Amino acid sequence: MSRLLIVASRDQLDPVIRELYHSHLFHIEDFIVDGREGYDGFSIGKPLPGASEVSTDLVKVRTIENAFLIRPSEIEPTGKRPTAELRSTIEQELPAIEHELGELTGRRSRLEVALKEYDQKITELLPFTEIPMDMEMYRGYAGLTVLAGYVSKEVNIPEPAEVYISAGKARRLIVAVFKNDRRSDVDRVLLEANFQAVSIPVESGVPRARIDAYKEQVAQAKAEIDQINRRLDEIRDRHREFLVACEEILKADIERAEAPLRFATIGQAFVAEGWVPKDRVASLKDALNGATGGRIFVTELTVGEHDPVPVEYDNPPFARPSQLLMDTYSRPKYTELDPTIMVSIVFPIFFGLILGDVGYGAMLLVLCLGLRKFIKGEEGQQLIAVLRNASISSIFFGVLYSEFLGFPLPWTYILPSRHLNIGGGGGHGPNIPGLMMMAIWIGIVHITLGRVLGIVNHAQHDHGAHRTKAVLANAGWILMIWGILLLIWSMIPMPYMPDLTGLPPVVMGLNVSALIGIAVLVVGLIFIARESALEIVELPTIFSHSLSYSRLVAVGLSSVAIAMVVNYIAIGMLIEPQLENISLIGVLFIIMGVLVFLIGHVMNTLLGIIGGSLHSVRLHYVEFFTKFYKGGGIKYSPFGFKRRFTED
Amino acid sequence: MVDVVSNVTAVGMSVEAITASQIGMKAIAAAIAITGTAFAAAWAEMAIGSAAVGATAENKDIFGLVLLLTVIPETIVIFGLVVALLLIF
Repeated sequence: MSRLLIVASRDQLDPVIRELYHSHLFHIEDFIVDGREGYDGFSIGKPLPGASEVSTDLVKVRTIENAFLIRPSEIEPTGKRPTAELRSTIEQELPAIEHELGELTGRRSRLEVALKEYDQKITELLPFTEIPMDMEMYRGYAGLTVLAGYVSKEVNIPEPAEVYISAGKARRLIVAVFKNDRRSDVDRVLLEANFQAVSIPVESGVPRARIDAYKEQVAQAKAEIDQINRRLDEIRDRHREFLVACEEILKADIERAEAPLRFATIGQAFVAEGWVPKDRVASLKDALNGATGGRIFVTELTVGEHDPVPVEYDNPPFARPSQLLMDTYSRPKYTELDPTIMVSIVFPIFFGLILGDVGYGAMLLVLCLGLRKFIKGEEGQQLIAVLRNASISSIFFGVLYSEFLGFPLPWTYILPSRHLNIGGGGGHGPNIPGLMMMAIWIGIVHITLGRVLGIVNHAQHDHGAHRTKAVLANAGWILMIWGILLLIWSMIPMPYMPDLTGLPPVVMGLNVSALIGIAVLVVGLIFIARESALEIVELPTIFSHSLSYSRLVAVGLSSVAIAMVVNYIAIGMLIEPQLENISLIGVLFIIMGVLVFLIGHVMNTLLGIIGGSLHSVRLHYVEFFTKFYKGGGIKYSPFGFKRRFTED
Repeated sequence: MVDVVSNVTAVGMSVEAITASQIGMKAIAAAIAITGTAFAAAWAEMAIGSAAVGATAENKDIFGLVLLLTVIPETIVIFGLVVALLLIF
């Protein structure tokens, strides 16, 4: 990356911004008024004219898109529209769409309110359907009171009164008509019967007929709402592409119009600072000179040690999907080693070691290839590609382990066996010590590699005494690991590790290897303590981090165990015994067995994806990266963006 | 050895019974290793998981990171599994 300084007079602002936007190369470093040296008297620039109008339009477009539930990221562009043509139609089309949308949604919400009212009226009328009386009869009396409601027990309202009580036990409808002056007596009687009043709706006509009339109105309103929704769908389908294209050019306009807010201005001049990839500096300079007719000053600044240099990955194509895993942790700093290539190679290996099964690998591969078309967005595609590589590795290791959905394949395993004795299959059983040592060897090599990278990183960045100390501390960690190993080898014989117990003892029962081990260990300890004595408390991580790689075996074995248990339940317990003499119930058992087989293996594949990927990622983040990697780089995001729906 | 065998047969246990009970003890030890560590891992993940869900609700971008933080205590149960496997095999 090169740091560019652009200086020009204010009247060149528009062409300069246009050119920078068009080139899509210049990562603007925002100007902040913080009294930086050489920037006294500078202030933030003002947006170009027209910015507020454009943002109003943009808000309009986004409101319409929201109403129609249009998401630009979910739309595949069918072709690019010329911006000139769009600009000429925006002014007429946008208000027309907005007007139509407003009218339709307004009508729809009015209908929805009416619908609620009708429903309310129907519920109010419902209790009175038991009494076939005109609703007008309930009101309009001067000397009489009409009460309606529910009672929960028998009630005797003293005469003279006209009372109707519905049949039933628990909740009975009561309508009572009596003289006004007897109100208190009636109230008392009703209170004893747990009276709950119901309001008498103001209607005319028999309740049943009224309800039917309202129901008809409800149906009408619903039909109308459906019609409006269909109309809205039509409008959406017709204008979808136009709307997303509008949003794109308006967004571009607004970014351009607001760019001066990121520049420093003084008097009649403006200054922009930013970053450009080294090999593109010359072409950008030429383009800027061309756009302004040479009335511009562009120069390359020296890059300081603590400058916030934006970072763009530079990886071979096969490693690019793994950038996702890097970004999840943290983007590397500009001066740091980029471990993406290593991650892209080691991650699938770890995944394959965990989920080493031809059947599961093939299922995952098919899943990835199938999902590739449906998953949109760069990150989704990267994830799919990472999983695809992992599944290929899973098939490869499945061949080495000789496993297919938990069954052994016709050839013998090349890696230590993971075949458990589930369901009395016989055989040798799993070679646990072999697997464990394999995992620990991988751990030791991976950690040592991490420390070597740590040495390289410190040697490149640090200066003076600190550099020597940091480099030696990392070397000290390597010495510690291998010193401890030598010591262990000299004392305990272990499978798949060199056996040095046979060497003749030299002093105090210790042999040569033990003495070398102790010497190396002490030197390592001194190197570590010289950088920081506090690091000594981290010493146990040598063991815990190396042992942590045993997850490569443990998680894998648990997945093999689940697979074998599923096979045993489905085939050994359900299907096979029934195949000997087939009966009707036997067929049911066989169907159940097939279901157990399918569901079990699908679940195990999902568990395998989660377990395999998360544990491999974790081994990278926690055990590997902590040895050398800091991260914290800024993403290189050049001014301007890739057009998807429009073109100039 | 002969003495030991004659002694244990005296208390009424055959050599086969002793080997069988030793295998049983190993299995129980393995089960304890798995149970304890699985509980510990689950407990740790409970605290991290609820915090992770809360954090994701605030900011969706950190989902990948918190998913990872949630599986970090799984090391505990993996060590338990390793111990159990070494005990049995």
